[in-house]
Amino acid sequence: MQRTRYENRPPREADVTDERLFDERRKFLKLGAAALVSTAAVLELAAKEKLPAANLDYAKDPNAGGLELNTYEQITSYNNFYEFTTSKEGVKPLSKRFKSEPWKLTVDGLVEQPLELDVWKLMKQIPLEERIYRFRCVEGWSMVVPWIGFELSRLIAMARPLASAKYVRFETLYDPAQFPDQDRGLLATLDYPYVEGLRMDEAMHPLTLMAVGLYGHTLPPQNGAPIRLVVPWKYGFKSIKTVVRITFTDTQPRNTWNAYAPAEYGFYANVNPGVDHPRWSQARERVLGHFFKQPTQLFNGYAKEVAHLYKGMDLRKHF
Amino acid sequence: MKRALLFLLCLSPLFFLLYRLFAGGAEDPVKAIYSVTGYSALTLLYAATTISLVRKKIRLLRYRRMVGLFAFFYALLHFCNFLILDMELDPAAAFDETLKKPFIYLGVTAFAILLFMAVTSLPKLFARFYKYHRLIYVALLLVTVHFVMAQKALAYWQWEILAVMALIGVLKVLQRTGLAKF
Repeated sequence: MQRTRYENRPPREADVTDERLFDERRKFLKLGAAALVSTAAVLELAAKEKLPAANLDYAKDPNAGGLELNTYEQITSYNNFYEFTTSKEGVKPLSKRFKSEPWKLTVDGLVEQPLELDVWKLMKQIPLEERIYRFRCVEGWSMVVPWIGFELSRLIAMARPLASAKYVRFETLYDPAQFPDQDRGLLATLDYPYVEGLRMDEAMHPLTLMAVGLYGHTLPPQNGAPIRLVVPWKYGFKSIKTVVRITFTDTQPRNTWNAYAPAEYGFYANVNPGVDHPRWSQARERVLGHFFKQPTQLFNGYAKEVAHLYKGMDLRKHF
Repeated sequence: MKRALLFLLCLSPLFFLLYRLFAGGAEDPVKAIYSVTGYSALTLLYAATTISLVRKKIRLLRYRRMVGLFAFFYALLHFCNFLILDMELDPAAAFDETLKKPFIYLGVTAFAILLFMAVTSLPKLFARFYKYHRLIYVALLLVTVHFVMAQKALAYWQWEILAVMALIGVLKVLQRTGLAKF
């Protein structure tokens, strides 16, 4: 093999890398490392910038519990919304064209004052507040969401339920033109419209929220636009989305998942690490964005506020 | 050449999974691993069975072992996901929390069968253990039930998958019992 002239001769002083350049190289490497770190910071910034501009006026939650919020991206990309699809990552793309404006919310049943509310008008009139809540899905994952909304009790006060009203029944929109799974008729995954229910004292509880936004912005379709229920001490399926009707009744409503599999999903559905789902344990949960699981808390960490509602009840029986 | 193509095809779910995990924004990575490896193992197991079902018509029998081993490979990833990532290598938790549940032990039993079949598919052992490879039918039944139990509710396309599986199962029974010849 023929060697080049350069390789053939012995190295000279001038061939040695200049010390200044050598140091530069180190600096360059350091720069690379710094770039990696700052990329993470930039990504975090970008994630923040993905936030839509706030369009709601609300009182901020001081987050006294120091909960670590999930990102807007996480909260809006991983959703159970069977009316669109059973795929949690598939809901967001499928819900892009969902039309939530205008929106009429009917409040009826055993009330003195039945209501027909224009939800978008209501959002501007009623004082809104942020509530940073833990959200625990029955499937074993969870997140922390900064909801914007108002206490359901405000709406109840407006409707003035009769003494005979013992339960509140909620109903999601039924519109096969907008919800692909409702359009499948007999092949639909669930019986629609989706129904949920609360006992009157649960509905009146100050933690029970009607949410219209998150992260300062009105709800995106995949999270239940324009208005949804949030009951933080219960499994996520109780927090019914895209509500069109709230009815006061004297009988316990048959909620959708309870009707689908009575042995697996109860009416109460309070978060309880001591009561397993028949097919999986509820002792621990994975917070979205975290690799390791954390222990699940009784009533999802809201025992102090809500445990008295269930005093004397067998939580194994009333799961 | 055909073998290499089939190899790549069998490997494609793994590439898809890696893409989902590192670039595709899988919000719950453990769940993503369960889904992709689960569906892959299930599909390949039924594919291996289909190969022997249609062996007179389409001669693919020499690829059956590879397809079966890939099914085992995805089942192994699925099982490791359970033990290492989901149960965080805590055998007490794995046992207490989940092995008591039929959903999990059906899956674990099926995995044990696949492990046995993978080991005894080595040329030296195959002649001796060939007859026990009929256990595949038990495994197919177990993983199908396991798959159904893993769902909160079956979507229409999952019913379609089940219909295809049932068809393969029925044809296989007909073939083995000699009620139909193909």
